[in-house]
Amino acid sequence: MGRKKKKQLKPWCWYCNRDFDDEKILIQHQKAKHFKCHICHKKLYTGPGLAIHCMQVHKETIDAVPNAIPGRTDIELEIYGMEGIPEKDMDERRRLLEQKTQAESQKKKQQDDSDEYDDDDSAASTSFQPQPVQPQQGYIPPMAQPGLPPVPGAPGMPPGIPPLMPGVPPLMPGMPPVMPGMPPGLHHQRKYTQSFCGENIMMPMGGMMPPGPGIPPLMPGMPPGIPPPVPRPGIPPMTQAQAVSAPGILNRPPAPTATVPAPQPPVTKPLFPSAGQAQAAVQGPVGTDFKPLNSTPATTTEPPKPTFPAYTQSTASTTSTTNSTAAKPAASITSKPATLTTTSATSKLIHPDEDISLEERRAQLPKYQRNLPRPGQAPIGNPPVGPIGGMMPPQPGIPQQQGMRPPMPPHGQYGGHHQGMPGYLPGAMPPYGQGPPMVPPYQGGPPRPPMGMRPPVMSQGGRY
Amino acid sequence: MSLFGTTSGFGTSGTSMFGSTSTDNHNPMKDIEVTSSPDDSIGCLSFSPPTLPGNFLIAGSWANDVRCWEVQDSGQTIPKAQQMHTGPVLDVCWSDDGSKVFTASCDKTAKMWDLNSNQAIQIAQHDAPVKTIYWIKAPNYSCVMTGSWDKTLKFWDTRSSNPMMVLQLPERCYCADVIYPMAMVATAERGLIVYQLENQPSEFRRIESPLKHQHRCVAIFKDKQNKPTGFALGSIEGRVAIHYINPPNPAKDNFTFKCHRSNGTNTSAPQDIYAVNGIAFHPVHGTLATVGSDGRFSFWDKDARTKLKTSEQLDQPISACCFNHNGNIFAYASSYDWSKGHEFYNPQKKNYIFLRNAAEELKPRNKK
Repeated sequence: MGRKKKKQLKPWCWYCNRDFDDEKILIQHQKAKHFKCHICHKKLYTGPGLAIHCMQVHKETIDAVPNAIPGRTDIELEIYGMEGIPEKDMDERRRLLEQKTQAESQKKKQQDDSDEYDDDDSAASTSFQPQPVQPQQGYIPPMAQPGLPPVPGAPGMPPGIPPLMPGVPPLMPGMPPVMPGMPPGLHHQRKYTQSFCGENIMMPMGGMMPPGPGIPPLMPGMPPGIPPPVPRPGIPPMTQAQAVSAPGILNRPPAPTATVPAPQPPVTKPLFPSAGQAQAAVQGPVGTDFKPLNSTPATTTEPPKPTFPAYTQSTASTTSTTNSTAAKPAASITSKPATLTTTSATSKLIHPDEDISLEERRAQLPKYQRNLPRPGQAPIGNPPVGPIGGMMPPQPGIPQQQGMRPPMPPHGQYGGHHQGMPGYLPGAMPPYGQGPPMVPPYQGGPPRPPMGMRPPVMSQGGRY
Repeated sequence: MSLFGTTSGFGTSGTSMFGSTSTDNHNPMKDIEVTSSPDDSIGCLSFSPPTLPGNFLIAGSWANDVRCWEVQDSGQTIPKAQQMHTGPVLDVCWSDDGSKVFTASCDKTAKMWDLNSNQAIQIAQHDAPVKTIYWIKAPNYSCVMTGSWDKTLKFWDTRSSNPMMVLQLPERCYCADVIYPMAMVATAERGLIVYQLENQPSEFRRIESPLKHQHRCVAIFKDKQNKPTGFALGSIEGRVAIHYINPPNPAKDNFTFKCHRSNGTNTSAPQDIYAVNGIAFHPVHGTLATVGSDGRFSFWDKDARTKLKTSEQLDQPISACCFNHNGNIFAYASSYDWSKGHEFYNPQKKNYIFLRNAAEELKPRNKK
């Protein structure tokens, strides 16, 4: 087995120097002895996590890790199992052990080693091991624990793990969420979880969301093994398709490798690369004026004008870059045409059922539609300015609210009668009320029409 | 000058603190209460830009009015002026020189309010309520951008009654933000569009939404070089997504976090998930504040991915928030946002705007 590198030691607790057979047991020990809140006995996952918990929940500060030996009480150090142990302490430990084991027979030591690896193998294949290489932002550490097959979400994975190794590291950033909602997986995101204490952080993939009104719908849409939206934030690529994920992982590496290169230095990239390149990774030679530096940005030297050229030309050139190539994903299940799924077993959305914004809902009320000027108050308090008086709804061809009012007439009548039509009165309005009649036209059906084409802007007819 | 019903001169000489009674939970954070607050829910707040000396706060409400206060360094708030629309005011913004305030309303118009003369004129017209309004100041042009439920984004030179430009949106505009040269618009059906404003506004990219629920609020953030580089998007499902436009590593750099939820996952009761009503970035620290229907506000450090603070729960949802230009003041409005429907609306309930000193609490956490 080529996993010598692993820890070179049996798992041991940094806080109290005890040895353990298994990292799992080590972690349980740490949780129970070092990361347990003395007030409510809640077991946290790390020292900082405990500190934050005490601060937020009990408003108490703690400055030392409970039950730790002197010198090892630092509460700020984020140690989890064997991870996070400072290098010098590791060395110290190794030296200590070597001294000890030199006293013992060599054979015994080798036997121990092989036992250790076996344990790791079986442990890994049967239980979810936390990913030791949880990358910090922007940093992808090498797979430090080859013995620990970081194949996420593949508990049933046969011990053919080594072959996966090369392919897996690039997946790390994207992989964690593949852990379908297993509780260990939740804590796996501990760094973030603990930080946003009290509320769970969702990794980019958001795969861990326990109340997941959005999650179930994704399942049917999962093609076996190759969910395309790996780089897409916020979309759990795999939720519970564990068995499926195994082959998927194998097939995955090529894709993300392209998008997960070595972490780039935080160079300031121009915000808007030229339109044609927008889809690919950011290209180099783009200036801050949104155009490639090599091409002469002649257009940027246009004399300033208060009016724009016909918008169709300009927008046509930039809208070809939509990278949301797919229509809305199956997640539209939760935002059905008219209603939301607002309740699930574990959570409840405090929001009215219809999938319209709170303001839209409120604006429907007759109370807010009585647009008559309030008595005793001059509507604007000034005479309409000449040019403005002629301001009419500028859109040609847009049918005004369903015959409620013929296109606006009144010039200069600004006073508050923007609609100008007495027909505006509440009584005349069809009680717009119901969500469904209005919304269907807007369903996900027509994916964004290209600019320049104006789908009939049927403003919710007569609603306002 | 109309001053909220007071006679002349300045309004109430700023009794800033209401003696909050014992069990009353309307101001659990003991923040400064703005005097003469609007009579109906406050939908939008905006502080004056740095070009104006001092701090002036504008609030638009569902009582069809827009009010202006001067906020003094002592915390005293002095009502200054008010304008009316004929429909609820959904969004307000300032011009860059601080002389004008733009207001967007359910009456399908937007107005420009000249503070010096206290005159307001209509400058925009839509076919449906105008939900967002922003002033764009570019090197070669200036204009007002309005987004409406009529699915259009219009750009107005305030001197002309015809828009300079009209861009179609895939759906009704729900929220927007502008930091030159970038503009974001989030629409119904989880639409998300980035615009680049240089030279003239044009659509830059449509982004697949990182969130699964209805979009509710969006705020652009800047990088260390003070250029807009990404945005925070809040939904009705107690979640905010931090999304970079061109990140080196999208899978790692973009993330979402949950917020504004009740109960931990420990308890057996189902968790209540509240909408995120507003997001605002601290202009200096780059940390952000979110306010929700649960009646709390929270401060977050998106780079350290930590929460800095969560407030106590107010007895009403917090419907809007904003920072002043130097980040010393955080204003938030406590008023009903309709999250529980019509039944829970109590017109008698007072609506508040609170001011909080934000200089210290929003300092970023040191990354480990």
